[in-house]
Amino acid sequence: MLKKLLLTAVLVAYSSYSYSDDITPYFGTTGNAAAGGHSWSMGTVLPTPPGLDINTIIYDYTIQKDVNDSVNVHVQNENANGTGYIFRETDEWKPGSLGGTEIRKVVPVIPNIPRSAWGDGSIEVEGNGTVEDARVVYSYKVDPCYDPQFDPNCPGYVTPAPPEVEVFDVSTLYDATKDENVNLSNDEQILLQENEEVVEEELDEDEEEEEKRKREYRLAMLADTNASQLFAENQRIEEMNRAMQVVVNNQYSNRSVPGGQYNDTITLVDAEITDSKSGLRNGLAQQLLHEKMISMQYKN
Amino acid sequence: MIKNILLASAFIFTSVTAFAVDVPISGTVQSRCVISVDTPGVYGNPNAYTLTTTPADGGVKPIVRFDVTLADAYYAQITTPSSFSSSPSLNDSVTWTGSTSVSAISDATNMSAYETNKTTFGDTTQYDLTATGSTWFESSSTATNGGNRAFPGGSYTAVVEAVCVAQ
Repeated sequence: MLKKLLLTAVLVAYSSYSYSDDITPYFGTTGNAAAGGHSWSMGTVLPTPPGLDINTIIYDYTIQKDVNDSVNVHVQNENANGTGYIFRETDEWKPGSLGGTEIRKVVPVIPNIPRSAWGDGSIEVEGNGTVEDARVVYSYKVDPCYDPQFDPNCPGYVTPAPPEVEVFDVSTLYDATKDENVNLSNDEQILLQENEEVVEEELDEDEEEEEKRKREYRLAMLADTNASQLFAENQRIEEMNRAMQVVVNNQYSNRSVPGGQYNDTITLVDAEITDSKSGLRNGLAQQLLHEKMISMQYKN
Repeated sequence: MIKNILLASAFIFTSVTAFAVDVPISGTVQSRCVISVDTPGVYGNPNAYTLTTTPADGGVKPIVRFDVTLADAYYAQITTPSSFSSSPSLNDSVTWTGSTSVSAISDATNMSAYETNKTTFGDTTQYDLTATGSTWFESSSTATNGGNRAFPGGSYTAVVEAVCVAQ
């Protein structure tokens, strides 16, 4: 029971993690938009995902001016959907402020300005002064569920209808090799023929391999079958032997043999047994043949 | 009768002590001026008898940041060192020079005059923090050993003191 509870908790935690990992809004910052100069295109500065909302602009630069001059510096973005600026921050460097002073500024931006409204950005200087070492960074938030169809867990997600699968007859596909109107050169025809032969060879090889595999399988099955039959035969023979032994045992009966002396009943009448003439002749002939064979090996 | 007298005196005594209660009042003052170290300084050693934070001589200028959330309420006082807080035994008197200036600001319109309006007394520079926001102050410090005698080898440390003083 405890294990089940633990497993459930883990699964819930995992699913919760997966959910937040996929669709939770995340934050990011761009690189220095003013790295290439005092004007820039937002298309090259902002990343691509939809649902991007700029929330802060961070910038810093060093003003160079005479202490008696008044200089205004504007960090701004044009309104791409109209006139004027969608963002404009002005720094008034009044007389008395020293050149070489750096400004570091973090400016919050009104949220939910459409990305498309952010036009080109720039640093504009009014007055007798210059801006050096400028850095402009856009901080943004991305809502992955800006498009609800991004993820099934997004609010407002609508399950799309399954696309209709078009049934297509493969035989109706155009085959250039069977088109009579296609004139192939001899080389092309040879190449085509060779290609077909290679394909046929490969098909044959595949077929042979399949047949070989099937044969090996049959042999393996047969070997198993033979082993089973042999075992059954041995069993049967053992059963028969046991049955025969019972029969043999029944043919014997218990008898008692009386003690005492048992004399030979057969008497030899002749006193001498002569050798057989034919046997002697035969033995002599074999002896002669043997000696002849022995002497043959010394002739050479 | 005696019991009644004792009981009555007990009531009187209790009622008298119940009025003698101390009621505490507590409160917290949230700081509206925060000082933080932006860049620790480093002494360069261009010659045997000089230690300086000048970058051209291998030093690093210390930078301190003041964050103020209430305008016209504080002074920033920054004092450059006039002695080493730790060093080897010195063999002569040391001459100190130092200065402080605004390094960066977060509001050009309201802070750009900080530098011109600063006041200096001794080794201390005072700025009137008239605007809310952040201001970075950069100090420089140079120590020269007397008679151009070489500083003894070892580690030297000095301290820039930054204080936020209520007006």
